[in-house]
Order: sequence, then C-alpha cells, then structure tokens
Amino acid sequence: MNARFTPSRQEDLPLITGQGHFTADHNYPGMLHAYVIRSMHAHARITQLNLDAVRAYPGVRWVATAENLNALGAGTIANPVTVKGKQGEDQIQALMPLLAEDTVRFVGQPIAMVFAVSALGAQDAAELAEIEFEVLEASVDPDKTTLSTAVQLHPNAPRNVSVHFSSGDAEPVNAAFAKAAHTSQLRVLSQRLMGVPMEPRAVVAIHDAATGVTTVHTPHQGILGMRNFLAMASGASPESLKIDANDVGGSFGLRGGAYTEHAALVLAARQFGCAVSWVGSRSEIFLSDWHGRALILNGEIALDAEGGILAIRFKDRVDAGAYNCMMSTFIGTRNLSITMGGVYQVPALYMESEVVYTNTTPVSAYRGAGRPDIAYAIERLVDFAAHEHGFDPIALRRKNFIPENAFPYKTANGSTIDTCLSGKLLDRALELSDYAGFEKRRAQSVSQGKYRGIGLSTFLEASGAGNAPKDQAWGEFNANGFLYVYGVTGPSGQGHSTSFASIIEKALGWPADRVRYEAGNAKHKLLGNGTGGSRSLYGAGSAILAMCHKMLESIKPHASKTLGVDIDRLHFENGVWVADGLSVSTETVVDALASEEKTALNALGEASSGATYPNGCHIAEVEIDPTTGVTDLLHYCAVDDLGQVISPQLDRGQVHGGVVQGWDKRFVNRWCTTTKASC
Amino acid sequence: MYSFHYQKAQSVAQAAAALSRSEASRLLSGGMTLIPSLKHRLIQVDELIDISSLAGLSDIRMEDKHLWIGAGATHQSVSRHPDVRKFSVGLAELAGLIGDPQVRARGTLGGSVANNDPAADYPAAVLGLGATIVTQKREIAADAFFLGMFSTALASDEIIQGLRFTQPLKSAYAKFRHAATGYAMAGVFVAQMSNDVWRVAVTGATDGVCRWNEAEAAAGQVPEDLRFVHDNVLDDIHAPSAYRANLVQILYAQAISRLA
Amino acid sequence: MTPISLNINGNAHTVEVQDRALLADVLRDNLKLTGTHIGCDTSQCGCCTILMNGDAVKSCTVLAVQADGARITTIEGLAKGPDLHPIQVAFSQCHGLQCGFCTPGMIMATAGLLSNTPQPTDAQIHEGLSGNLCRCTGYIHIVESVKQAAKAMQELPV
Repeated sequence: MNARFTPSRQEDLPLITGQGHFTADHNYPGMLHAYVIRSMHAHARITQLNLDAVRAYPGVRWVATAENLNALGAGTIANPVTVKGKQGEDQIQALMPLLAEDTVRFVGQPIAMVFAVSALGAQDAAELAEIEFEVLEASVDPDKTTLSTAVQLHPNAPRNVSVHFSSGDAEPVNAAFAKAAHTSQLRVLSQRLMGVPMEPRAVVAIHDAATGVTTVHTPHQGILGMRNFLAMASGASPESLKIDANDVGGSFGLRGGAYTEHAALVLAARQFGCAVSWVGSRSEIFLSDWHGRALILNGEIALDAEGGILAIRFKDRVDAGAYNCMMSTFIGTRNLSITMGGVYQVPALYMESEVVYTNTTPVSAYRGAGRPDIAYAIERLVDFAAHEHGFDPIALRRKNFIPENAFPYKTANGSTIDTCLSGKLLDRALELSDYAGFEKRRAQSVSQGKYRGIGLSTFLEASGAGNAPKDQAWGEFNANGFLYVYGVTGPSGQGHSTSFASIIEKALGWPADRVRYEAGNAKHKLLGNGTGGSRSLYGAGSAILAMCHKMLESIKPHASKTLGVDIDRLHFENGVWVADGLSVSTETVVDALASEEKTALNALGEASSGATYPNGCHIAEVEIDPTTGVTDLLHYCAVDDLGQVISPQLDRGQVHGGVVQGWDKRFVNRWCTTTKASC
Repeated sequence: MYSFHYQKAQSVAQAAAALSRSEASRLLSGGMTLIPSLKHRLIQVDELIDISSLAGLSDIRMEDKHLWIGAGATHQSVSRHPDVRKFSVGLAELAGLIGDPQVRARGTLGGSVANNDPAADYPAAVLGLGATIVTQKREIAADAFFLGMFSTALASDEIIQGLRFTQPLKSAYAKFRHAATGYAMAGVFVAQMSNDVWRVAVTGATDGVCRWNEAEAAAGQVPEDLRFVHDNVLDDIHAPSAYRANLVQILYAQAISRLA
Repeated sequence: MTPISLNINGNAHTVEVQDRALLADVLRDNLKLTGTHIGCDTSQCGCCTILMNGDAVKSCTVLAVQADGARITTIEGLAKGPDLHPIQVAFSQCHGLQCGFCTPGMIMATAGLLSNTPQPTDAQIHEGLSGNLCRCTGYIHIVESVKQAAKAMQELPV
C-alpha cells in the first residue's frame, strides 16, 4: 500500500485519516456535560417547573433556567434584521428567550439545561424534572395562522403577523396587468424542511479566568457573526469571546449565529472554570436546528400578445416559526425581492410578503435562503403561463431573457446584474440533454406503462453581498516557511483553504502548498462577512487578491536586487519576476530574505464586493412508475456560469451537492406538523 | 440509555434461566433493534443477556433435505452462504435486502423472527416457506408462530435456537423499501412448495406478517382481479392503506416474474 | 464497570466501561480516537462505521462490552505509517469529501465493501454504501472514489 500522493485539497489529509478537529472531538479533563430539557408541546403554559430532584442527582453541578440565566445577564437569540412594513410601520418582534419563561411555543423549545459530570448522567438527571403544562391550542399552518380563529402566539402580534412588507412599485405593475393580453397566476409551496448538516450541532466552551476570555469550539460560518450573535445572546462582551477555527461538518446556512446552547455554555463555563460541552442528538437537532424555507409564493405574470413579459408580482407568506430568529425576516423580505425578475427583462416588479408566526421551530437561512425558492416560483410561473396561453415554454423564455448587450442590467426593483448569458447556457443545456429527442424517449416510456417528463429552469443567484462594509484578509510569512492568511469567512467543506491558496499561487507566484488559511483568529481584528450566499470566493477571495497585489509591491524591490536589474525593467508575469531575459520566482526571493524583511512583506488586503450573479440552466428528465409513484431521475444536466473558476473539481462538487439537495427538497425532506393526537 | 447489567450467556439453558428470573431481562443477539430502542429510552432492561456468541447458534447447514439456519446467523452470512442460495433464491435475496451492509453484518435471523416487527423482512420468508421455529423447549410451525405486531408464540423464557426450512421448488421475494429506513413498506414472499402447493406471505403492509390466501389459490398466476384485502392494512405517515394494498399486488406480480 | 479487551488498529487495549457504553463512545472518549464520528441516533447515517473482525459495522449500535476480544480497525488505523490506504488516496483524488464528517465512515464502509466485492458495479457500490449518508457531495464523487480505489487495489503487487 505505497501511496504517497498530492491531496486534491489541503483540507483532505486530516479528514481522510481521522485527524479532523470537530467540536465534539474536544475532551478536556474535568469537562462538564450539558443536556437540554425541551418542550414536547407546540404551545403550552408552564405551570410548574420543579427541578429540585434534578439538582440533587449525583454528578449534577448546575441546572440553568430562564431565571438564573437572566440573572447572569443573558440576552435573547439574535434577530439581526428588521424591516419597515408597507405603511412604514415598525416590524413587530417576538424574540426567543434562551430558555422558556412561562410559555413554550414550539416542540423542541429549550426549557432548562442540566450540567453534570457525564452526558448520560445529565440525561438521567433530566428525567427527574417535574414540569407541568397547561396545553394550549397550537397554530401550525402558516396559511391559517392569520385567521381570527387561530390562537395568538404573542401578545404584541395580532393575527400572528410580524410584518407586512412590500418592495417595488405597485402602480406600473397594476397598470401592466390591466392592459396585458395574457395573465397567469400560480401559487407554489416551498415547504418547511431541515438543513441536516452531517455534524450535529455542538458547543464546547472553556473560560480562562486569568484573561477573562471564553474560548468556544462550535461549528460556525465565520467568527464575527458567531461572536457577535453569541455576545448578544449571552450578554458577554464580544472581546471576551474567542471563536475557535475548527473543522465544520457542513452548515448550509444554519450556523451563522448562536443558539441557546452556545450562550448557556458560555455562562456556565464562566461560573465553573472548567470546560463545558453540549453535543446534540440528531433527534433533538431535527427539532431545534433552525428550519429552512417554509414559504408560500403566490406569483402572477402579465404578458403582451407576443409573450413579452410586462410585469411580475408576488404575494408571499413567510413562516418565521414561533419567534423572530436570525435570518427569517431577511429571507422573507429582501431575498424574496432582489431576484424576483429572474433572468428575464421585466419592466415592472412588485411584491408583498407577510412574515407570520406559527407554533413551529424558528426558520432561518438554508441553502440560498429564499432565492432558490423565488427562482423556482418564477420558472414554474413561466412554464404555467406558457401552458395556459399556448406558448412554447422555451421560446417564451428566450424571448424574455435579458439581452446580451444590456449588461450590466438594472432590474425594475434596483438589482444590478453584471452578466447573465441565459441564451448561451440554454443552448448548451438543450444540446447536452438531447432535449430534441425527448418525445421519442417519452413514447418508449409510455410503451412500458411509465410516464416521462422533462423540466427546465433558467435561473440566477445573487451572491457576494454581505453586511460588513468590506472583507479583509491578513497575510503573514511565517517562520516555518508558510504564508498564513487570516480571514473572517469560515469554511464548512467548500475548500476555502485550497481555493484561496490557488488564488495566491496565481497572483503572487507563491506555491499553494505553502499557503495556509485560517478562519477566525480574532487577534487580527479583521472585518468581513461570514460564509453565506456563495460569497467567500468572490468576497474574501477579492480581499486576498488585493493582499497579493500589496505584497507584490513590497517584493518587487527584493526581486530587482536578486536579479541585479533596475526596478523599472522588472515586471511580474505568469507567477514569475522577469527582466532582460532573467527570471526568478517569488518563492526564491522571499525564502532568501531575513526574518525582519519577511515581516515587512506582511499585508492587509481589502475589498468591497457587491453582489454578483452566477446563473445557470438545468434540465432534469424523469420517469415515473404510475403504479407506485416512484420517480427515477434518468438524466440531469447542469450548465452553470460561475464566473472565474478557480477549481473545476471543487465547483463540480458544489454543484453536485446543490443538485442533490434540490432532489432532497422535492422528494425526501419535508417537515410536517399535525395537531392530530396520532399521526 | 438507562443502565443495565450485561452478561454473556454461557449456554441456552443458562440464558433461559436468566430470562425467567426477571421480567425486565432481555436477550441480545445482533442488537440492531434492541440497541436503538435502548438508546431512545423506549425500553428499560435490568439484565441484558448476550447470546450472540453461543457455540453452534450461528450454524448454517443442510440437514438431509432441510436447511438449518441457527438463530444467531447474521443476515450477511445467510445471504452469502452457497447452500442457502441453492436452497431458495428468495431466502438468500431477502437476507441481502435487509437494512444496509453494516446492519446485515450484525442483525440475526433469531432476533428478527422473535421481534416480529410488522415491517421486517424475515417473517415473510419464514411464513412463506412454512419453516419450523425450534426453541429449547419445542418446535413451532410458522403458521402458529406469528401472532401480530411484535407478538409471537414464544414464552417469556423461550429461546429460538434455529429455524428448519423445507426446500421449495421455486421462490422469490419482492420488496418495496422505505427510502429512509430500508424497512419493507410491503414485502411479498412467494414459494411453490410442491406442484400444487403455493405459499404467499405478506409483510410490511398490515399489523403483522400474514398469508394471502387468494394469491395462493392463484397457483403462480397473476389474475387481473386479484386484490389484497385485509382488515388491518396499515395507514400511517408513510402511506395510506390503499397505496399499501396496491403495493402488495404489484410486488406479488414482481415476485411471480422472478421465481427461481 | 466492566473491563474489556480490544485490539484496535493492531494495538491491545484494556478499558473499564459501563455496560451501557457504546463502542463509538468508548473509541472516542476513552481511547481518544475521535476519527469515528457520531451523526445520528437511529443507526442510519453510518458516520460511526468501523471494521470489527473484518466486517463494516456501525459502532454506535454495538455495546462496548459486546466488542470484548474483537479486532477493530478505525479510520486512524487504515494507513500504514505515512503510506495512506488506496481508499484514502482515492477519496482525496476524486474529491469524494467536502466537510469530511461522513468521510471516515464512508472510507471504512468502502473497505468492508471492497474486501467482499473487489470489483463492484455501480449498483453494488450504491448498495454497499447504502448505510452511509452524506449531505455535501451529492455522492457522485464518492462513487468515483470507490471505483478508483477498487482499481488501485487490483493493481497492488501481491
């Protein structure tokens, strides 16, 4: 078994040999373990909370409740984004307490936490809790939750509405619909589902009394986001929290901020001076990881006689779950509007959305966070309009694609799309999928008693944006011969280290295998956005590119000295310093420098990246057995414009993963809530 | 899971004695059902008696014209054994479709049969082939063994030692797997035991494995109007009863087409 | 507490365990072999897969006491010193991992599959990994990794 090899990614070696460093892998001497007591009711008043027997159980060190967490200065789960309503009114907020106070509002809501010397011991002790509930009616259907007959979840939110939002200009849209030759309307459900990263949510916290800093190991998507939201939730100052950069087993949007367990563990660790650990079981994580999607999208399209799109309008219902947590407002307002014209040239756009409460797990960002949902709704709407009014669905699309000469294209509601060559992508996808031959293949399926269908979508995504004013990257040449690059964005499998190293090798001529990326070293006080909306390569990558350019400036004088040429005759091309037929690599130049000279090369790169619009055309062909309903995916074709491709293999992996999560959404992953006693 | 005391059984007799000492004691074989139940705290045991390494309990051998499969034989060993495949293709295939490879390396015939999960695969083969369940006390015919959901004719201290199968002329098993759990949403085992004797056993679709008399009467044919009718076709979060009944009919036809 | 003897990756270990302790927890917590992961509580995800007496099994569904006397291989024991196993090499070369959480289980399940079926068809690979879940890769590169590993192992000198 002689297998020395170059790994595909720098990240691979520890992960394929069992040397990964995931949160639950931390095992400190004397570590305490936590167990969460959760509500098994969707809606209930807590009439008795007697935890005496739990506290008295051997090995139990502490039991956290809302009362004692509040006494320690705890906050609530962050709700970072609020919007103004359609009439300019403030959004109603229902913030989630870390632990339930007198009312529980979703199955899985944390009520208390038991801290003991062993995880099993904490669970054993938890069973002795005497909790009594007055079970209340639950409102679980987002469609019905605003009816006057539905139970009200929060005293400050009549009709269970958090906000009624609008975006775009209603007047021209209404006018377009009034004069349109054809209109169509289609309501689609983007069902509530679960993100299910393979690594269960977990937190390990250790407090250093000497420095006053609590180190937190947890899967996250970027140190600043986790740190800031954890500060809000726990009441600790951001400077007193250090978020560790460890391996993250997937995130898909669910790990941008702190949950109850993060905040409670920080507060516990500060009391006990020893490490504290909480590792979720998959069952409780199904209940308590933020859920995804949960949107009802009601779209309408207005066409002229030739099929030109005159306007698109949406009326959406956004199920926030029981509380406003993290990104549900952002998803249900901004994210349902910024790409609501899709890849089409639409003169008038308007949307309204209602963010509502139900007795279900709070919803936050999951894989595209509203934008794939809108893309789906638009493509279904376009298809439906074609079907209703006798247009060929492909011709109808082509006719309305944003023309190639119109870029950068400003949409009717203010997004500026850099490029989106849908026609070219469509051509390629039609060819690869042998779209033209479909009817023949369908006839074959029919002759065998099966149904066969083909579906096409042309879509775009808004990526790259973020709330931080800029992204920063700090690079330093280390004594051990590596270029260490620090940033804010946190990987969860995307291959940040490998990708950033590739960028650096091309831009700086420094070998990729001598680059290391670390997310989360707070000492550098970097600004930047966490991972989300496919932004790291573009956002953090641009900052790293800027860092490389600064380093080139500093290296240039050294290179000219090495080559013995005038600095004006020197230029950098294809990763190498060249002048008068002589050449030298960055690596050689830097390796020869004294350590103070190397230190002087260290640089901060910055970039302010707005949104960019990767886009694609995907075609899926399926066969359905009408006797069982089983659907086979016979062929899937994905043609994507991803801008600058740093690593084709990594990009293919991302597309595969995304496509299969799309399959998962369609066939596998659906959260159902029923108020029936048995299911 | 809750605490318990674990012991490795020294013999079947000793295991039976331990069982009769306490109502909260259980046998442990492969553990593929028991351990997840314990982990979820659905059950609590005080004594766990491991019989998985008892000598002779995992044997697979021909005994004259019959096939003997020890209660401790793993699904993996059954599916791979050349004697089993020669004896009944349906039985070998069924064993290879249980759960997933890791589950098949541990789960046992005895454990599955004693548990009688209404969605398990083995009961369909055992009933479909009219096997005999041999315990340390007696021999029980399959037709008298399965009494409904998680219920069998076993006494509380009775331990399955193995099953004795009679060779069919032909057999086949067709299963519709639940995509997430791998259990049978429905499974149909068809066996032609002799020229005129057909047995058809259905699992997954009702409250326990059962024989389908109308299909047996069809004697290897698939009549147009053959319908699966039963008082307790399951209607649950996975499928409504009409869907399941329809599945049974489809799987019966599939099994017939694959008889070997 | 019960003392048990385990041979793990060629080394003999004696550990005192509670009867209810799972093998996965003993490997991770007592023996500090944290390469074996726990991803679910219904024995479905396969992240905890190890080889026990040559078979791929889910260590979260085995009591440590059941493993007394067993020969166990975990992901940490697959490589021989600095030389990685062809399965490990293949997973990296074919980009069969992204976040890496399911990877040890996938690799060990692959080891189990290939020991019994050295040249698996696609269908056999799908069945052979049916006890392992991944949320990142969409499985396509994983299947390629298994095929490449099978090929590499066939070409090994005897």
